[in-house]
Amino acid sequence: MTGSVSACSGSDAMAPVLEVRGLTKRYTRGLLFRQETFRLTADLTFDGSSIVGVMGPNGSGKTTLFELITGSNAPSTGSVRVMGRDIHKVKHRERDRLAIHYHQSYQVRRFRRTRPSFLMQAAGHDYPMVHLFDEPQFNTRDGYIGFMLDFFRKLRREGRLVFLCLHPNEPWHLELMEEVCEQTVFVQGGRVRTYHDFCSSLRDPDLRDYLGKLAPRDAK
Amino acid sequence: MALFEARGIHKRFGQQVVLEHVDLSFEAGRLSGIMGPNGAGKTTCFNVLTGRHRPDRGRVTLDGEDITGLSPDAIARRGIARSFQVMSLFDENTALDNLIVALPEVRARGFDMFRRLSADDAAADRASAVLARVGLAGLERRRAGDLAYGERRALEIGIALASRPRLLFLDEPTSGLGSESTARLAELVQDLKRDHSVVVIEHDMQFLFALADTISVIHWGQVIANGTPDALRENAWVRRSALGGAA
Repeated sequence: MTGSVSACSGSDAMAPVLEVRGLTKRYTRGLLFRQETFRLTADLTFDGSSIVGVMGPNGSGKTTLFELITGSNAPSTGSVRVMGRDIHKVKHRERDRLAIHYHQSYQVRRFRRTRPSFLMQAAGHDYPMVHLFDEPQFNTRDGYIGFMLDFFRKLRREGRLVFLCLHPNEPWHLELMEEVCEQTVFVQGGRVRTYHDFCSSLRDPDLRDYLGKLAPRDAK
Repeated sequence: MALFEARGIHKRFGQQVVLEHVDLSFEAGRLSGIMGPNGAGKTTCFNVLTGRHRPDRGRVTLDGEDITGLSPDAIARRGIARSFQVMSLFDENTALDNLIVALPEVRARGFDMFRRLSADDAAADRASAVLARVGLAGLERRRAGDLAYGERRALEIGIALASRPRLLFLDEPTSGLGSESTARLAELVQDLKRDHSVVVIEHDMQFLFALADTISVIHWGQVIANGTPDALRENAWVRRSALGGAA
């Protein structure tokens, strides 16, 4: 099991598990007159293991954020460090040894690479430290949810950082997140906000507005 | 010591990690189940365990012998047989002939295109016994292509059994079956448990929970849970699912 994997070799044990500094990603259109169509900005630090719920409307930048954290998509500015290593300087094939993106419905976007892997660093890990679950298929009928939640807890016990991205549209989606998530990341219009307590994050007016009628009354 | 063990199996296809540090252990005389949603990596896992794919890392042992990276036929010779999710039968040949060509003694001496397979009485008797074991007695002369879907599944299990395996792997045996055929197949697998060590991959949780001694749950190419069906049912989300309701 994952607990038997040698956790870290060649990385900074004192460094935060994940440090996102001054990260921006700009999308533009037009050749002569570049016009910005979308901008994502993020500054996040997670010092240790945790289970973090990620929410936000469709098109707000959640998947782009995950792609930037796992190094498949290059940032316009800023850096992403996992256990002290700049993931965008790690060999492409080894980036998922630091942070792995479990894509929704196995949809994987491919990005152009500008630097050959042989000029880059080794990951220094053989099992990912950051696990990003992008809208996993949850279904109350089959019971897999329970096994998935236990798996997230196991990863957390083993010192890993887990992101669980969900777009709540049923009361039990929020119930599930309340059960397992300790912290919240809320992405809206390309802006990324972190709340270090999941329950208190539900008092944020913007998050409540996003949740609509699912927002718990007693969290006001 | 377990009959079959896999430790730290890692497999990647291109950029995609398909198996991540998989540990599995199957005891002799038990029915072990592997379940997981579609696309979880179950069949890839089976393919690595039975030699169709070589793992990038990790070790597979049968009775303590390292069989990692051996070819599928070398692994089969050591006593591991498997059925496939997509059936591979000789549709133009009879059920009996399909079984005769799977007998190790017939395979060892090769085939003669001018000789009818069923002319070998001893082989035909042994093949008939296996057909009876999988519930196909009386259908020996039926073309495999004319058998009902559930009977074709049983025939494929019979073909795997013909090699007298020490460990039998069944890949999604209920795939494409209706409820009646699934119930008949469950009876067959229950019967096989008496004298075989069996590993079954299934997405039909009801089927597996009713039959398996232990179950490993695979998702995202990793073992996310394992235990007895009773222990797995203790999970609160399993209890509130259809599975819990049926327990």
